[in-house]
Amino acid sequence: MRIRAAVSAALASAGILLVGWQSGVHVADTRSAVAAAATGNQASEAGTTDNSGTGSSTSSGTTGSLGATGASGAAGAAGAAGAAAKAGGTYDGDAVQTRFGTVQVQITVKAGQITDVTALKLTDAEGRSVQISNYAAPILRSEVLQAQSANVQTVGGATVTSDAYLTSLQAALDAANL
Amino acid sequence: MNTQLLPSPGTGTPTRPAHGPAPVRETGRFAGQHRRRLLRADALAVTAWSSLAASVALWLADGGLAASSSPAGMITALGIVAGLAGMDLVLLMLLLAARIPFIDSAVGHDRALEFHRKLGKPSLYLLLAHGLLIAVGYGMAEGLDPVSEAAALWVLVPDMWLAFISLALFIAVVVTSLVAVRRRFPYEFWYAVHLLTYAAVLASLPHQFSVGGLFAVGTWQRWYWLAICIATGAALLYYRIIQPVRATFRHQLTVERVTSVAPGVVNIEMSGLQLGSLAGNGGRFFIWRFLAPGLWWHPHPFSLSAEPMRTGPDGHGRVRITVRDLGRGSAQLLRLRRGTKVAVEGPYGLFSSAARSKDRVVMIGAGIGITPLRALLENTPFAPGQATVLLRGHSNQELYLGEEILELCRQRGATLFHLTGGRDPGSPDSWLPAAEHRAGYSLEDYVPEIAHADVYVCGPSRWAGSVLKAARAAGVHEDQLHHERFDW
Repeated sequence: MRIRAAVSAALASAGILLVGWQSGVHVADTRSAVAAAATGNQASEAGTTDNSGTGSSTSSGTTGSLGATGASGAAGAAGAAGAAAKAGGTYDGDAVQTRFGTVQVQITVKAGQITDVTALKLTDAEGRSVQISNYAAPILRSEVLQAQSANVQTVGGATVTSDAYLTSLQAALDAANL
Repeated sequence: MNTQLLPSPGTGTPTRPAHGPAPVRETGRFAGQHRRRLLRADALAVTAWSSLAASVALWLADGGLAASSSPAGMITALGIVAGLAGMDLVLLMLLLAARIPFIDSAVGHDRALEFHRKLGKPSLYLLLAHGLLIAVGYGMAEGLDPVSEAAALWVLVPDMWLAFISLALFIAVVVTSLVAVRRRFPYEFWYAVHLLTYAAVLASLPHQFSVGGLFAVGTWQRWYWLAICIATGAALLYYRIIQPVRATFRHQLTVERVTSVAPGVVNIEMSGLQLGSLAGNGGRFFIWRFLAPGLWWHPHPFSLSAEPMRTGPDGHGRVRITVRDLGRGSAQLLRLRRGTKVAVEGPYGLFSSAARSKDRVVMIGAGIGITPLRALLENTPFAPGQATVLLRGHSNQELYLGEEILELCRQRGATLFHLTGGRDPGSPDSWLPAAEHRAGYSLEDYVPEIAHADVYVCGPSRWAGSVLKAARAAGVHEDQLHHERFDW
């Protein structure tokens, strides 16, 4: 390679890497603050999202993500008695471990209907996870509310988070006998 | 200023043209073209490196550095970076093989493919490292050994099984492209396996967008990555498929006549339409496919050995290639029938006036490598006395098209040397015949001003290598050396 090309290529590459690094530092700084606000306050923040999710019927809810601790959702278990669901209240799902962190959701039930889904814990490991969580959780919440079950599609680019979310959700649904 | 055939004598000083070496006076008509070409080549190099840096910057900009603090995180991060860089190199390789005119006219087809080859192993190593590091990194985070982690990834994570298959295909492609392995198999086998690259790239795409958090929906990184993947695919589709098909339909080439030049060597004359756009490319090559049973899937790279002769108003005319029986494929060409349709791709390469940087030009060819020189001699600009042609062969009969070249040299005022005879068994690497070599001749004896000339070399690669070495020794700058391989 000619000297001119080598020097320009080195400078250009260094510049690009520097810009990337700088914006990365910025992202990391703001992330923690955003994360705290977002995960704690999922319900209110997600209130406005009205995603087009027509809750199509993939069985992603029952696949169970990696290292998941359970609640392999026997979807038909609703038949087991218990007037609890009718009465309503909040039910916590299992804490599902993933490689990106723990996911746990809580559902609010009124008169047999899921009226709200709150994320108690969302994936937060590795750079992008928090951002993914913040992005995916509102979509999942609105789809779940619409479908009234864990039978909703996973969110593109957030497969692991979605799977864990829906697994935990299924456990909560089971607990609520829904 | 007529030029004469100058056989170099076995003893004494070679006969020089009567007018002697003309004083070197550059008019610089090619200087601007040369500068622009180098600028384009540099721009390509900078773009390639920048794209590599950008693929890492995507991850940096996502705060990757800050997030990879634990040992598992660090290994995973390295794996992610390796995957990004590896994919970027794969895309660069595809672009280098896409025959994009901008790349071709800046560095030439040969060098583009050379870079393509050079990137093969690094990109495979990066992709292997990607798979390995991710399996180890994820495994550590979940308390699994890498093998169980890999199995879990395959079974449980959507699209990951495709990524595993993709990696296996990449390994197959690179292994079959290694010179040692390639020699053992016919070209067609290598080519068929090479086509798996497309399958490998396609199979690797889903997991990048669905599993890789970096390219999650709604991120600008996702758009960037999509854009470079789509642009690469579009370039391949356009330049490797759409363009050739269009050219084939536009020119409607048909075999007109096959005539014998020498034992095992034939002229193939083709007639076609709108040949103007094939003209003026002296020395550049085309890829020909003769659409006859058993032949159509053989691509043959040959340059024209004669510029189109126009006979009609719509550019209806004839072009000619000269072919030697080099392999199974070209042996069949000797028996081509009149009326056979011909598909054409090209022109490609930089063995043309587009590569000129000096007013003077020297053309050195051996065997069948002489034929592209004939086309170049026909149309590359030079003033009388500023061009020298050296033809090398075992016998006069092997100086294919020698008569035509002699005639062209006469018309245009170029100096011509015929260098015939066997090699010196004592130093088989000499590019000269034995007698001339023993007499101690060098390139400067034939072309005293060679250091101020563009030197075009075409012939068997080993022979061409010695010529290029001799030219460098005579002070010819690397930028002035133009070499085209014909023994593919």
